[in-house]
Amino acid sequence: MIGNRYPAADVLAQRGRWDAATRAVVLDRVHNVPEFRYFNGHDRVTLEALCARIIPQDHRPIEDRVPIAPWIDERCAGAASVGFRFEDMPDDATAWVLGLTGLDDAAQSIAGAPFCSLPSIKQDRILNAIRTGDPPGDTWQRLPARRWWINLALKQISGIYYAHPTAWNEIGFGGPAYPRGYAALNFGAREPWEADEVLDPGSSPA
Amino acid sequence: MKLDVRLSPNWLLDLEMREYRTTDPVDFCIIGTGAGGGVLAQRLARFGFSVVALEAGDWHDSERDMVSDEAGSGRLYWNDLRVTGGTDPLEFGANNSGRGVGGGTVHYAAFCPRLHPSDFRVRTLDGVAVDWPMSYEDVEPYYEAMEREYPVSGPAHFPWGAPHGYPYAPLEAGTAGQMLIKGCQALGIPVVAGGPVAIPSGRVGKRPHCIQRGFCLLGCKVGAKSSMLVSHIPDAIAQGAEIRTGCMAFEIPLDPTGQVSGVRYYRTDGDQRIEAEQRARVVIVAGYAIETPRLLLNSTSSAFPDGLANSSGLVGRNLMAQAGPVVWGRFPDLIRQYKSPPACALTEAFYETDPSNDFVRGYALQTVSPLPIAMAHLITEEAGGFGDELLRAMQDYNHIAAIGVLGEILPDERNTVTIHPTERDELGIPVPSMHFSLSENDRRMMVAGTGRARAVLTAAGATDTHAVTRYAHLVGTARMGFTPTDSVVDRWCRSWDVPNLLVCDGSVLPTQGSANPALTISALAARTADWLRRAAAAGALARRPSDPHAVEA
Repeated sequence: MIGNRYPAADVLAQRGRWDAATRAVVLDRVHNVPEFRYFNGHDRVTLEALCARIIPQDHRPIEDRVPIAPWIDERCAGAASVGFRFEDMPDDATAWVLGLTGLDDAAQSIAGAPFCSLPSIKQDRILNAIRTGDPPGDTWQRLPARRWWINLALKQISGIYYAHPTAWNEIGFGGPAYPRGYAALNFGAREPWEADEVLDPGSSPA
Repeated sequence: MKLDVRLSPNWLLDLEMREYRTTDPVDFCIIGTGAGGGVLAQRLARFGFSVVALEAGDWHDSERDMVSDEAGSGRLYWNDLRVTGGTDPLEFGANNSGRGVGGGTVHYAAFCPRLHPSDFRVRTLDGVAVDWPMSYEDVEPYYEAMEREYPVSGPAHFPWGAPHGYPYAPLEAGTAGQMLIKGCQALGIPVVAGGPVAIPSGRVGKRPHCIQRGFCLLGCKVGAKSSMLVSHIPDAIAQGAEIRTGCMAFEIPLDPTGQVSGVRYYRTDGDQRIEAEQRARVVIVAGYAIETPRLLLNSTSSAFPDGLANSSGLVGRNLMAQAGPVVWGRFPDLIRQYKSPPACALTEAFYETDPSNDFVRGYALQTVSPLPIAMAHLITEEAGGFGDELLRAMQDYNHIAAIGVLGEILPDERNTVTIHPTERDELGIPVPSMHFSLSENDRRMMVAGTGRARAVLTAAGATDTHAVTRYAHLVGTARMGFTPTDSVVDRWCRSWDVPNLLVCDGSVLPTQGSANPALTISALAARTADWLRRAAAAGALARRPSDPHAVEA
């Protein structure tokens, strides 16, 4: 579990100082989480289990957790293009479904059960097998595991998480700063409206 | 039509924009409004020509459309499908693409260094790649012009390349930039602060100066950062050019005399879509290194079965990305890298060939300051980490400073843009397919640059360093050269095959140096515009440049 490095951070409290377009985009993300349209049943449960291991949020009350799986679903349902696909990969929506099947293939082979039913420590073993690029299972003969892991699973899931003000608070990111701008530029100084970093006793960041 | 586009908090572009009829031939039809097309539209309109510039995307209104938000800025990029392969497949969309008026200049970091004189003579000096069909001195006056017109901030005396200085004072460097400066100075490496970067350190017209908000890569809501959208496009319109948005060119038709007659395109306006053809006396393709060869290769005819202006077979070949490994270090003290423009300090001390290296040519080191999502992508890409490993690494976000290695990848005919045999985009146009593989020289250069960046960060006090291989800027796929067999266009960016067709964007660069290409592309466009003015007056655009009866302008 991670510490609470910026306990006073509340980026959203500054929203009255943001421009209207930025405020609309961020608040829409916070308040209007899409319904699932693309994944259902077992795939949806597997996707949620994957998101919970890549970005563990057990330390937060459920209502404070950043939703991630619904946004993956939204991208797949809308067949959103990010500008390219690798020639050895299908389109993103298809690759997501294949990858979730691959998670179960590997889970069955390594632990004898579907991914979503495993305890988290075993789920992490499955993910580490994919991370190293050579997981067991037929699906991974057709889908390059390392590419799926980095470009879809990690980049999309982390991208959705770090787009959320809750994650900005966690890392001490000051957030939008137009039209106000920044004034305290040197040597890590903070603006009056930014939070101080509070390190755990005995720990140092680097 | 009356425009209604905000370019800065106190600048509403509300000019009456001239509109041309598609059936009346205009003097020039330009495809694309980025660093090349934007300058061409402005220059040619000022010279009194009738100009229509087709732009696939839309206007970017600084208040309505630009946001201080990474995930909310997808409209800045070319997100249509492209297919990528090779041993080192490039990723497309996002930072190496641009869509909408101003193209990629709307979201570039705005580093604007010049090429060095040696870049124009790589074959002669180093025995690799090719020489340019022009010298540094040919481009120099246009560099000076663009540095005034963008304009560009930087040191009074730039210590590398040909001697020159910048018209605006250096920008203030944030803490992340100061780490590059500190590390270089500790190692005795010359370094400059505050530019060259196209963010003027002062008010320019209705453009206020920078507020240090740090979101340069997502479009400048302030209007401080120079882009074609705020530097050249407004003047182009004032001079009578039409910027026609929502227009995706799909074919340049050839008439029976062997000249092009205009541009065929789809125009999307809301949910309406029409197919149209703008007639033109001269067509200039300025769609950047992927869309330019795609359009030429998709424009086939009995005269050019392998693509328009492609008798050399070189359209789509020699695709170059610029090497762009990102190296970051963790520091005990707070950095808060998200403040201040990411572009603020650099060194070109390793730009030139050094006989003690195991490679030729070189690289620059520049500041980059990834925002949270970009940082998370770097961290996940480095080691594939997840869970608490990822969250902990990201909790050190405010203790990280990052350096970009910008290095010269050499041209290789095997690196290509071709047309995909089956895939089509939403408009039904065949999509481009790219193959990219590094050479041994490229790999060695990137290893050396990454090692140097690690050493700089360590010397500045980083406790640990990390690196990910990345690529930036795309050039080279319609190269200029000396003869119709060694190139696609001549030194004026004119097709060797079709007398009234030009290509004027990053595609024409024979080599790329270790300089961000926008300023060079704009300088070449300004030079080509001057030549077009002379050539049109002399009647030189009626005959091919290699024709024995060609008119020298």
